Amino acid sequence: MNRTTTAFSIGIKEQARNYVLVALLVVLPVSFITLAFAVTQDVEMPVRTLVDGETATVMRGMPEVHGVIMTPITSALIAGLAGLFLMREAKDTDGRLAVAGYRAWQVIAARFGVLAAITLIVTGVSVGVMLVDFQPEYLWWFVAAMLVVSVTYGLIGMLVGAVFNRLAGMWLMLILPMLDIGLFQDPLFIQSEPDWWMKLFPGYWPVRVMVDTGLTTDVDTALSLVWATGYLLLVAVLAIGVYYRATQAS
Amino acid sequence: MNRVWTGIRANVSTFLRTPLNVVLALLLPIVVIEGWGQAMAGLPSMPTVEAIPIELGRLLGAIFGVAIIAGLMGLAQMISARAADRRLVQTGYPPRTLLATRLAALGGVTVVVAAVNYGVLWLTISPEAPVLTFVFLVLAGLVYAFLGALVGALLPRLFEGSLVVVFLAMMDAFLSGDSPLAADIPEFVEYFPLYHPKELLQEAMFQGTYTTGDLGFVAGYLLVLLVLVTVVFGVTMRTSGGWSA
Repeated sequence: MNRTTTAFSIGIKEQARNYVLVALLVVLPVSFITLAFAVTQDVEMPVRTLVDGETATVMRGMPEVHGVIMTPITSALIAGLAGLFLMREAKDTDGRLAVAGYRAWQVIAARFGVLAAITLIVTGVSVGVMLVDFQPEYLWWFVAAMLVVSVTYGLIGMLVGAVFNRLAGMWLMLILPMLDIGLFQDPLFIQSEPDWWMKLFPGYWPVRVMVDTGLTTDVDTALSLVWATGYLLLVAVLAIGVYYRATQAS
Repeated sequence: MNRVWTGIRANVSTFLRTPLNVVLALLLPIVVIEGWGQAMAGLPSMPTVEAIPIELGRLLGAIFGVAIIAGLMGLAQMISARAADRRLVQTGYPPRTLLATRLAALGGVTVVVAAVNYGVLWLTISPEAPVLTFVFLVLAGLVYAFLGALVGALLPRLFEGSLVVVFLAMMDAFLSGDSPLAADIPEFVEYFPLYHPKELLQEAMFQGTYTTGDLGFVAGYLLVLLVLVTVVFGVTMRTSGGWSA
């Protein structure tokens, strides 16, 4: 077993041994998403999305639209907080791994691997719960966008963890995804062309894909998924740089 | 009495010593209140769905903002000082005095956070009963501050604790907050932490009155939380009979 695998498996064991965390990673998405479907009014609402390459308003059931938003918000929130706390722990301990002979890329690969594993679990549980009440038109496109937005938020959590302390980080990692995905990208609330600054948020491109592939019968947002992935790569580069500096400093 | 004041001063200065926390506590309410208000007002009106007036949207944003800032503060305060608290108990600090200093400092900062939220609201809405509106905003913050402290005493890790507080607050805001998206709200929502503070605030803000029943419920809620925090904190600070964790 090489060093990266050792550090990764220890990181996973550390999280898995924490039964409360494991239970919360399952119970919270189940209860939150199920509740969102259960209490949302079953009426048709206008939704602005792409149809045959053109922006159009279509009528869709409110529970479905709400589900399309609540599912990514759940996984983005949890992944963001996971990234935040992984970074805070890393600042305390990973410098010691470097002293013990670990190379920076080995530590980074192990930590990012743990974040990726948590994000995968949360995304899987969130999509699984959503499927009980709602099946997107193009499931795998939807899942791809979910993964992109969740990983992006996980990495943003790491960036926030490098700059802010725990309390400020928690505030930010709650309020950012809630405003971004829950309000600014929600097609129920934003019925006209979004303002330019709303497009700068991490949720803009992935949620476009989710609304399109979840609620319409053709895929018009392949390019949006490319942009979302580009955004993710940019955040990943930043997070790796910041992580490297943070662990070097400690 | 000296010990109490020393503890309160120490807790407040710990918070103030991190300027980023102070800046965020001042800035986030503006973002949340305005974001909430504008978004809620943007919902199209349909036969059974009504857009929320922007004033009510802002008010709901303020309640959520105060609750979440205070709740996470309560959580962080209980968890971050756990090891130090136990040492203080070992040196003779009574757990109840220690808890009183923590909760008093938490209450003080919550009042300031509520004042900032109230100030942001006041710029755009004229409350019918300004003092009552402010007091009820403080009560909403205190409920979540104590709730955060309880979660922090029960679950002594920030990641797990923050997940509980964050998701509870989001469900609470959705169910208690007159969401135009929701129907068939279950009756147990009355027992959610923000339900009665929201009723009080809405009445004070738009009608200048309040219902004694709602106020009694909030007072009872605070009392129950206080008892629970005291009991759990006392248990976790027990040091006799073994090594402390």
